[in-house]
Amino acid sequence: MSFLDSLAAGLSLVGTFEAFASLFVGVLIGTIAGAIPGMSATMAVALTLPFTFAMEAVPAILLLLGVYKGGIFGGCIPAILIKTPGTPASSATVLDGYPMAEKGQAGKALGMALWASCTADLISNLSLILFAGWLASFALNFGPPEFFTLILFSLTIIAGVSGNSLLKGALSAMLGLLLATVGLDLVYGTNRLTFGDPNLMGGLNFIAVLIGLFAIPEVMSMVWDPKPHEGKARGLGRDSVTFGEYKQSFRTIVRGSFIGVFLGSIPGIGSAPAAFLSYSEARRKSPNKANFGKGELEGVAASESGNNGVAGATLIPLLALGVPGDVITAIIIGAFMIHGLQPGPMMFVLNTDLIYGLFIGLIVSSVFLFFIGSLAIRIFRYVADIPRGVLFPGVLVLCIYGVFAVNNNIFDVGVMFVMGWVGYVMLRNGIPAAPFLIAFILGPLLENNFRQAMLMSGNSPEILFRGPITWFFWFLTLLTVAAIIRAGVRATRSLRRKLPEV
Amino acid sequence: MQRITRQSLIGFASIVVAAILMFAIIPTWVSSPSNVRNIVLSPLFWPYILSGLTVVIGLGLVVTGFFTTDPDEPEPPAIPGGYKRLAILAAIMALTMFCLPRLGMVWTSMLLFAATAFLIRTSHPKTAIICAIAVPLLLYAFFAHVASVAIPQGNFVRLP
Repeated sequence: MSFLDSLAAGLSLVGTFEAFASLFVGVLIGTIAGAIPGMSATMAVALTLPFTFAMEAVPAILLLLGVYKGGIFGGCIPAILIKTPGTPASSATVLDGYPMAEKGQAGKALGMALWASCTADLISNLSLILFAGWLASFALNFGPPEFFTLILFSLTIIAGVSGNSLLKGALSAMLGLLLATVGLDLVYGTNRLTFGDPNLMGGLNFIAVLIGLFAIPEVMSMVWDPKPHEGKARGLGRDSVTFGEYKQSFRTIVRGSFIGVFLGSIPGIGSAPAAFLSYSEARRKSPNKANFGKGELEGVAASESGNNGVAGATLIPLLALGVPGDVITAIIIGAFMIHGLQPGPMMFVLNTDLIYGLFIGLIVSSVFLFFIGSLAIRIFRYVADIPRGVLFPGVLVLCIYGVFAVNNNIFDVGVMFVMGWVGYVMLRNGIPAAPFLIAFILGPLLENNFRQAMLMSGNSPEILFRGPITWFFWFLTLLTVAAIIRAGVRATRSLRRKLPEV
Repeated sequence: MQRITRQSLIGFASIVVAAILMFAIIPTWVSSPSNVRNIVLSPLFWPYILSGLTVVIGLGLVVTGFFTTDPDEPEPPAIPGGYKRLAILAAIMALTMFCLPRLGMVWTSMLLFAATAFLIRTSHPKTAIICAIAVPLLLYAFFAHVASVAIPQGNFVRLP
């Protein structure tokens, strides 16, 4: 199939009212959810997932992608207006966005956040279109040993960078891998850790584990410390961003977008570190560096372009390799699976129309984001005032309906509650939940590829080092572990030096 | 010091959990056919490897917990009545599981919504009550009539 044929096939798939409406509604829901402090983009995507069960694959995935993109942008609204980031990705926006709001320039800050977000989103989507196909064609040469080493590398980096401690991240990933072993053995069909319960024979439901880990602990945190909504939304002021100001910050926006694309394409890093790195780079290179942190427009542009640059790029490893880059793409992989699709290099061969359909949809999402974002700045700031005492019980009820709807099984609701407590204990002890979930998804793939490799080689482990690709991933894995340990040791040493001074 | 102990405690806990898995749960609850010639392909192999690695990580946490001066994650401040509210939430969850098949999802959700709203001391009790009734009904309407999900109706009051 030529490029034009693929494009036409994709257009026929996505060029429907339903697909565009899903994308529009998705961006709208995401922006609203992002604007509510306490509702992260992750939670918004997780809670939207059950509503896609009755939909066709393309509109369902576009809806979730819309929520993702809207959620990341929406987080800047409360970050600027009430100094409370709607999502962790917007934490860096607070640094300059809120001081601008204090000076009566909230409208300008929000306008720049919108322009920077849309530009970064477009750059990120174009990067996805350019690189995903190339990476997938390269990955078509992969066999089980290559996939095993790739997944091992992905898990190492996700465990290492998701929290403050490599060991805690590794523990989280190990627990996720252990949980993934529950169910029938895929080779022999025997019971593994099912405790004689037929409900466990198919393994634990992914949605129940996901919602339990990411939505229920937020409700529990609210129960632990029920504080009313803090902060008061400020007015937008008279100022709005001008084309000249956008042009002045354009270099920063492009730089931030590429930082986002680079960090987003590496599994596990996510949008918050990208926003902070983009912000610090902008400050380093700016002639107005002294004004950063006091209400610098370029600071808002840098952080918002950094976090939105990640949104398209995290789909590169997902679509090309079948490896989710962060928690949100892990949820989106669940949507693919529910609709009988397996992301990865073969998808570029078997479902080219779907891939091109998604690419077209993603480009359109940047346009929707601009229009919805312009409206959101004026209207949705009031969303930040939704009382949490009503919001969180609503989230709990939504979780129950969503989890039940997957398999029509009350047992899954119980699994969600149990995983909620597991997630809460992890949250209280600083153990990151992202490696747990991603390991839970990648666990069966890791094990199956390992077993297939062993079967291919007649149980000789040499097959795991059979060529340059496996060596490359082993090298990257060792490099990642060494880098994370070195960073940990350095941080501890610098802390020891500081402690006697205190 | 307390924070370092917490990291060590996490390490101890993971070692204990892994040991229980290796010596009690895996031998009892993972079945492997007797004709598996190679341990690498056995259904037992992966759970044992993962449990073993958990022990190694646990040991790492214990050792770093004892020897590091890294203050780690900040200890969450004690909140008055926090544990009591969490215990009540656990009871609400257990009751929800009991009521779901008996009362049905809609009525159970209404009670759950109201109970949780009052547990977190909502400052808008009237709005909470209205939402406690409206949200489950709207969700029922969507899932039952749009997504065609068979929402449990319970033994008492059935909705159209």
